[in-house]
Amino acid sequence: MNQNGAGIRFEHVGVTYPNGYSGLRDVDLAIAPGEMVAVVGLSGAGKSTLVRTINGLVPITSGEITVGDVGLHGLHGARLRRLRSEVGMVFQSFNLAKRTTVLNNVLMGRLHGTSAWRTLLAAWRKDDIELAMRALERVEIVQKAYANASELSGGQQQRVAIARALAQRPKVILADEPTASLDPPTSHVVMRDLQRINAELGITVVVNLHFLDLARRYGQRLIGLRAGEIVYDGQGTDADESVFEAIYGRSLTAEDVLPSQPVELS
Amino acid sequence: MTGAVGGARPTKPRTWWKTVVVLAVIAGITVWSSIAIGVDVSAIAENAHNAANTLIQLMQPDYSFFPQTLPALLQTVQMAIIATAVSVAIALPVSFWASRATNPNSVALGIVRFIMNVVRSVPDLLYASLFVTVVGTGALSGIFALVLFNLGILVKLVSEALDGLDRGGQEAALASGASWFKANRQAMLPEVAPVYISQAIYVLELNIRASTVIGLVGAGGLGMLIDQVRTFYQYHYLSLIILEILVIVVLLELLSSFARRRLIK
Repeated sequence: MNQNGAGIRFEHVGVTYPNGYSGLRDVDLAIAPGEMVAVVGLSGAGKSTLVRTINGLVPITSGEITVGDVGLHGLHGARLRRLRSEVGMVFQSFNLAKRTTVLNNVLMGRLHGTSAWRTLLAAWRKDDIELAMRALERVEIVQKAYANASELSGGQQQRVAIARALAQRPKVILADEPTASLDPPTSHVVMRDLQRINAELGITVVVNLHFLDLARRYGQRLIGLRAGEIVYDGQGTDADESVFEAIYGRSLTAEDVLPSQPVELS
Repeated sequence: MTGAVGGARPTKPRTWWKTVVVLAVIAGITVWSSIAIGVDVSAIAENAHNAANTLIQLMQPDYSFFPQTLPALLQTVQMAIIATAVSVAIALPVSFWASRATNPNSVALGIVRFIMNVVRSVPDLLYASLFVTVVGTGALSGIFALVLFNLGILVKLVSEALDGLDRGGQEAALASGASWFKANRQAMLPEVAPVYISQAIYVLELNIRASTVIGLVGAGGLGMLIDQVRTFYQYHYLSLIILEILVIVVLLELLSSFARRRLIK
């Protein structure tokens, strides 16, 4: 499971939702292959929109996004699905199918390359099952492979979701507030998993975070969004009080910081 | 009490007069309906003698008639099982076709929903009499009628269950480059499976009951026998048949609640 990440380039990207709400405004951004980027901002600042444009879950209305060497504007059908197969995604609410096994959830990452009749009959290739098992091993949850997804705790579910993204053998992993439904110690476990995947496999990781300290700790690079525009782009370690005010429009309070240290999960 | 926060407490709103108005309207509609269709309560008293005779016969089922009911009884159960199997198999793909959650194509969705509305609006007895005319009397007509009747119910219930499901897994599958078909198969089918199985069992129960009725118009099963004995006022035979239906329905309910417990976690 060794592959290189893909670069992502935003050129004058704008997103206007059908109701007229402007999600992103003239965003220019270049993310290098293998970079780990944290995106922070208030609710409604466009964090989620930014991440979801990268795999076309939110269509862009102006400008262009290039992932690797594929342009996203107007991409649809089989070509959009091929791009998505190279971009894994981790969601805030885990998005697992609860009534089926963990393994079946991870195999979802292999659907793109599996024929319709194999999907229908659940006749998975041996290689795909092996790949899914190895993805589960990487997030240290392989012993739950045949458990129902609903039996897992929140942190375990999110790690299954990361394994599902890994099973795609992606060039990019997008994480849309992956820790928002988790308690502080579990948040650190999930963030460390993402960091490790980025470091060991060289997959480009773009992660949305609400907590600034998580973003500082785990993102090499920090991007601050406010009202759909980039207001900060720099090293996480350089982000000081004035940067925080630029992003959040007020000064730092205790509520913006996740207190706990990393803890090992059972 | 000078320290009260948030101002004076509100007075409880008076709503009793709304209840009175609603009850009056319901009573009015009921009285108007019974006048319009000419309900004549005295008819019950006038026919009391007939009613008593019929009731006495109905209370005394003639068990010696049992062997003669067996073929029809068996046919009823067979019709119900075949119709359930066929309709359950057809209903699953059609339900995915008919749910907004699993079919992104609104034109195809509209077409299949319109067809299913038409299918559902025809009562089972009418289907039976139509097929008796087209196919002829017998169990085959009954099976056709039951299949259409079941499809209407199953597709409605299962597609609505799909509409109400958590679509997280599907979203994740689509985001990983899966087609809608694959995403629905992998993420939505396991989620809807308990509802689907439970409705399939429910439809089997319905079919046992329905297959007794559709026989009245010649579509096979116990209903045809009911029609015969009723024509000759053999109410002690009729009561045996009713008893048999009761036993089957109760047995089936026991079986289905057992199956539900085992199949649905």
